Amino acid sequence: MNNRIPAIMLKEVNHIFRDPRTLLIVFIMPILQLIIFGYAMNMEVKAVKLAVYDFSNSTGSKELIRDFSASGTFEISYPETPVSQVEQLFYSRKCSTVLIIPQSFEQDKIHLRKTQVQLLIDASDPNAATLIKAYCSGVIGRYNKLENISPIDIRTNIMYNPDLKSAYFFVPGLVAMILVMISALLTSIAITREKELGTMEQILVSPIQGYEIVIGKVLPYILLALMDALFILAIGMTLFGVPFRGSFAVFSACTLLYVLTALSLGLLISTIAKSQQAAMMMAIMITMLPTMMLSGFIFPIASMPKLLQLVTYIVPAKYYLQIIRGIMLKGNNFQQLLQPMLALCIMTLTMLTLAVKRFSLRLK
Amino acid sequence: MRLINPKVMFTFIKKEFRQISRTREMMFLIFVAPLFQLLVLGFTVTNEVKHVKLYIEDRDNSHLSHQLYRSFTSTDRFDLVSNTREQKPKELISDWKAQVILTIPRGFGKDLSLGRKPALQISADGIDGNTAAVALNYAQGVIATFISAELNVSGKLPANSPLLTLQPPQVETLDRMWFNEDLNSAQYMIPGIIVILVTIISMMISAMSLVKEKEIGTLEQLLVTPAGKGELLLGKLIPYWLISLFEIVVVTIAAHFIFHIHFAGNALALGLMAAIYLLTTMGLGILVSTFTNTQQQAMFFTWFMMVYMLLLSGLFVPIQNMPIAIKRLTLINPMSYFLTITREIIIKGSGLKYLWKEGLVLFVYGIAVFTASLIKFRKTS
Repeated sequence: MNNRIPAIMLKEVNHIFRDPRTLLIVFIMPILQLIIFGYAMNMEVKAVKLAVYDFSNSTGSKELIRDFSASGTFEISYPETPVSQVEQLFYSRKCSTVLIIPQSFEQDKIHLRKTQVQLLIDASDPNAATLIKAYCSGVIGRYNKLENISPIDIRTNIMYNPDLKSAYFFVPGLVAMILVMISALLTSIAITREKELGTMEQILVSPIQGYEIVIGKVLPYILLALMDALFILAIGMTLFGVPFRGSFAVFSACTLLYVLTALSLGLLISTIAKSQQAAMMMAIMITMLPTMMLSGFIFPIASMPKLLQLVTYIVPAKYYLQIIRGIMLKGNNFQQLLQPMLALCIMTLTMLTLAVKRFSLRLK
Repeated sequence: MRLINPKVMFTFIKKEFRQISRTREMMFLIFVAPLFQLLVLGFTVTNEVKHVKLYIEDRDNSHLSHQLYRSFTSTDRFDLVSNTREQKPKELISDWKAQVILTIPRGFGKDLSLGRKPALQISADGIDGNTAAVALNYAQGVIATFISAELNVSGKLPANSPLLTLQPPQVETLDRMWFNEDLNSAQYMIPGIIVILVTIISMMISAMSLVKEKEIGTLEQLLVTPAGKGELLLGKLIPYWLISLFEIVVVTIAAHFIFHIHFAGNALALGLMAAIYLLTTMGLGILVSTFTNTQQQAMFFTWFMMVYMLLLSGLFVPIQNMPIAIKRLTLINPMSYFLTITREIIIKGSGLKYLWKEGLVLFVYGIAVFTASLIKFRKTS
């Protein structure tokens, strides 16, 4: 009786191993992602291409330009293009910022008059433009020797991640994503595939019970997902030095709960979708996309419009991210994470009930 | 090798369109899903940091500290949170209730007006490094504004206050933001989202529809008919090519109305470039379909390629910020060229004479990938 589940499991494991390329992708994809996110996710703007028109050509203006180049953020060039056609520099992407120093610069300085330099910034990328403007203000502020007279001393202190390493942020996020990808996406496709090929009917007319099929099909994917998650964690911790400050037991319990949530979502999809193509698209739309976009994995929820913020309440990854980041990075304990855990429990129960209801309907 | 018979090819195109229109899911996925994705991505993909939860611990309770408190309420960058359960400030961060804490020390107001340079302490939750860095920047900006605002009302200050001796800066800057004056983040991100949507449709669906015929066994049936492989393949791809082009138009128009995107450039130029780019993505789709046997595998491979093309395209992170080794990888990514073209045309309105290099790369890429995939397809199936 009970050896039916292992039999189905074995069949599913064979399915997985018969396709080693998919397996390879499942393991290699998150690692490459981790490396790119860990090393390349850098919002700081470096090597700003600055074109300078120095109409003053004086000691003072040269000093200002030297300050710009000494800051290390700017690559300075003196373009041939006449200043009236300055937009061509932006079209040809030769520079992203133009500094125009007026002829009267030195005279104004000598007479202690205010003088204005013009700064033209290519704002196609608003984030970069804002940062470039801040860098320029910094350089000019230093040129004006503002710092010495600031009346307030500001001390900053960054907790949990003093070097602001992006890997701290992405390793937990990737774990959340890979768990959803395997548990929801692969499972829903594996079940729909049997339906599409007609083998599901063959299994259903055999004495095997519905729940045995589901458990047998799903367990190998749970194991795969957990192995993959641990693998990512290990790499994140050794390669990028991401800490693990909380309790591993609480972490494991929460992770199991989250996998269960993702699985019930996958099951629900497989009861609705008729073809693999549909299952895959649905899985991407209601699991992958929200997990990447609406969970706070990359983009902060607080910056979204109110309506979307409401939608994020039904994205399981949002809660799991708080749990895993809380445990790994902040060392949160069980009590501090009760709220997100409760949310995951409610979601799992709701979706599982729905899926079971629909699944048994199909058996008739 | 024989020439392509347009009539046969046309029959295949008709068949594919009929098949698409008959599958309700496909219709939904091709026509509704992209708009849905446009909405979600358009509203979420932003580098802006807003509504950071800030707790201000005011130990001073003076006029100046209240003034400072007020300057933090006037911006939507920060949402002030209260400490209802009288927790220690640091616990607010560990309990996820606040992300930034500003501590105003006792005697701040007095020290400031006497010129004793008081210290403000700002603590930030560093888990999200980008948010933390940006929030700290904003906070310092707010404090700087506070200082200069106090300068303007310096009549209230004691005569010996150092705030009075602060001189306005000599060199001032006159900033002008080109192409996107109000620094609208959507203007920058939406072109990228259009690129993603087009790539998904053209690459994934073309690969999967080919593999589907393989999986169900109908591909064999088609191959034993007198119709050639070229006709079969073109008959499969032209519908998706047309759909993808159509999609660009729909998504761009929708983006214009929903996100108020300003389309600065020439739409025909963008269409031409997109038509060239689609050669590459559809070619990749066929390639994937030749070495995969199930839709699941095909989906996985295209998804895998999508993710890397996306990460290395400069959509989320500007390419110039990447380390040199990764920067080189972006050179072999067709999506990064098309992204540059799309952004330059939509945002700046650059003409094709500034983009011919990228266009040429895409063209060579497209021809190479498409030919390779045709040869591979002829050999394998």
